[in-house]
Amino acid sequence: MPDMSAIVNPQQRQFNPYAENGGTILAIAGADFTVIAGDTRQSEGYSIQTRYAPKVFRLTDRAVLAVNGFAADGNMFVKKVKQRLEWYRHAHAKDMPLRAIARLIQTMLYAQRFFPYYVYNILGGIEEDGTGAVYSFDPVGSYERETCRAAGAAQSLVQPFLDNQIYFKNQTAAQGSPHPAHLPLPDVLSIVIDSFTSATERHIEVGDGLEMYIVLARGRTLPDAVAGLRPQELPSAGGEKVFVLKRDLKKD
Amino acid sequence: MFLTRSEYDRGVNTFSPEGRLFQVEYAIEAIKLGSTTVGIRTPHGVVLGVEKRVQSPLLEASSIEKIMEIDTHLGCAMSGLTADARTIVDHARVTAQNHAFTYDERIKVESVTQAVCDLALRFGESVHDEDAMMSRPFGVALLIAGTDELGPQLYHTDPSGTFVRYDAKAIGSGSEAAQSELQDKWHSQMSLTEAQVLVLRVLKQVMEEKLDQHNVQLAQVTTDKGFHILNERELKEVIDTM
Amino acid sequence: MDHFPTNWGRPKYDNFDTSATYPLHNRGQNQSTTSGATQHTQQPIVTGTSVLAIKFKDGIMIAADTLASYGSLARFKGVQRLHPVGDYTVVGASGDMSDFQYLQHILDGLVISEETTAQDGHTLGPAEIHEYLSQVMYARRSKMNPLWNSLLVGGVKDGQRFLAYVDLLGVTYSASTLATGYGAYIAQPLLRKAVEGRENTLTEPEARAILENALRVLFYRDARSINQYQIATITANGAEISASLKLETSWGFAEGIRGYGAQTQ
Repeated sequence: MPDMSAIVNPQQRQFNPYAENGGTILAIAGADFTVIAGDTRQSEGYSIQTRYAPKVFRLTDRAVLAVNGFAADGNMFVKKVKQRLEWYRHAHAKDMPLRAIARLIQTMLYAQRFFPYYVYNILGGIEEDGTGAVYSFDPVGSYERETCRAAGAAQSLVQPFLDNQIYFKNQTAAQGSPHPAHLPLPDVLSIVIDSFTSATERHIEVGDGLEMYIVLARGRTLPDAVAGLRPQELPSAGGEKVFVLKRDLKKD
Repeated sequence: MFLTRSEYDRGVNTFSPEGRLFQVEYAIEAIKLGSTTVGIRTPHGVVLGVEKRVQSPLLEASSIEKIMEIDTHLGCAMSGLTADARTIVDHARVTAQNHAFTYDERIKVESVTQAVCDLALRFGESVHDEDAMMSRPFGVALLIAGTDELGPQLYHTDPSGTFVRYDAKAIGSGSEAAQSELQDKWHSQMSLTEAQVLVLRVLKQVMEEKLDQHNVQLAQVTTDKGFHILNERELKEVIDTM
Repeated sequence: MDHFPTNWGRPKYDNFDTSATYPLHNRGQNQSTTSGATQHTQQPIVTGTSVLAIKFKDGIMIAADTLASYGSLARFKGVQRLHPVGDYTVVGASGDMSDFQYLQHILDGLVISEETTAQDGHTLGPAEIHEYLSQVMYARRSKMNPLWNSLLVGGVKDGQRFLAYVDLLGVTYSASTLATGYGAYIAQPLLRKAVEGRENTLTEPEARAILENALRVLFYRDARSINQYQIATITANGAEISASLKLETSWGFAEGIRGYGAQTQ
């Protein structure tokens, strides 16, 4: 008798509309600046698709968005956010404030609740009151404001490091000198670079290149230690300033 | 003015050869039949005042509602066919809430005014199976008061969907006299109390009845306290200081 | 009342915006709900294997063999998998060949409407074709009805070389060497070694030799490949697609290896 099992129990191969494209993103807020960073490797499985696919995007003069997860959703999401920002600018004659962008991202993500954008977003920039801010999101729009956040393939490697270095978890302050609430920019940049070089060592999906965006509050200038790294300044209307700092990561 | 009646009087969406939309112009005329409404902007907030025509001693004056809240930082006063204003205010409220929901911030005064004016020109016949929303222009004009990051602002909207920002504006039957009085008395550094008193003085001047706390209504939008309709006691206090 | 201005004055059943002028985010929900069983999710049937592409000094070179397989059957041996689009671009396809034919149809229509209907002075270059294809591929995956292909888009316009990938998921990326399918595992390392850092010095014959070598290795190792291929060369002078060429192979080494060639025991 022929094998009927395939007919009796039909096998359905379901098309999977998602992929996981690796990479890691990270943002840290200072008192009057924010750093938003991401590596530039895009991969699927064990294959490196490209060594340069940006995951960090400037949205306005004071907002930068990092997107990680399924690359096609990520690019589409950024495209749609930018479109909404432009419509907002036309309708309300101003750039959307950071906090409003955060809420907008929530509503856009939640609108896709039943076919989510498979992306983890980290939004960084300067608030209306001039403070540095980081907002982190899950794929369906849950969000909160934080001081720092890592997401993506190496989140489990980087976040504990940030907890220790930024929030001083498991560190006891010396008598009479409490831990600072915010670190200065050069310290933050060192932590970002160390995070990515370490993640590159231990995670196969992280590497190739590093892009760090620095957003400075109105009236602030880069400390000499950072200016010496020759970051590229992006054109802005003159209030907040945005810089990009690029570095190589190991390519193996 | 409108002696040369013609077929262009009928279609609400038909221009006359001189380039006029008569029905819209008539709608603007309808406002001139409405009760007088005054708004004044000061650096501290905006004051709105309306005359309530209490046509009968049996009428409950408190049931006449001519000043309405749009959002905590936005309010409006109306003149003309006040029933039409309910549709407009409803739209303004939804727009404001929708903005707050999506952007976690208060909508700007100009934006909500624009939203209201977008609605104003949606009258006319429907083409095949489109939904016709309204058969005629609104017969009401609004003074929209509010505060945002640009400070206290006062906008005037009319049935043509035009909106303009004012320091002080009067609409309705007594508007001509009231407006020239405002022009005389308004100055850029007015206090809120001065503005309240000026609104009442202007109203008093154009009202037929004697002004008291039953036949006028005052409201204000201030930077710190937002929209607030003065209750009878507060109103009485202002009247007493006149 | 309907508070969404973009719904005002439009027919109830009209659920898309023909002139594409309205912000989609504040369109209300007036879409008619059509019900009825539809079967989407497919699998590729007649398939093409790897496509390879590299950047070189004067432009982009794309290569693919001419086999369209039906499962493990080498069903059609002379199928062209490189398609010119406009004057500056070539698209190479692996995956389902009927979906690719559909895309060729769409792209030809796009070029015709752009050249004849619009006549606005715009011409579509490789970047625009790639963006367009990405949107088509992503839109179809979002309807859970993908076009089962991995595509390479290459070309030169205004002195700029362009080379990028897009697949059935809408995933895109760009690099100086690209390979789809099995080629991503076998050819890509060879291409990277030969090309990376030499994109601006490689001559056309050198680039051709690199691709031919990679195709040969694929023919040795990929059971769904064939020793006939075409190469598209896109330079500032336009796109040129070669005739069907034969791969030179040598199997002499197989004689002494168990598992290759005739078995003696």
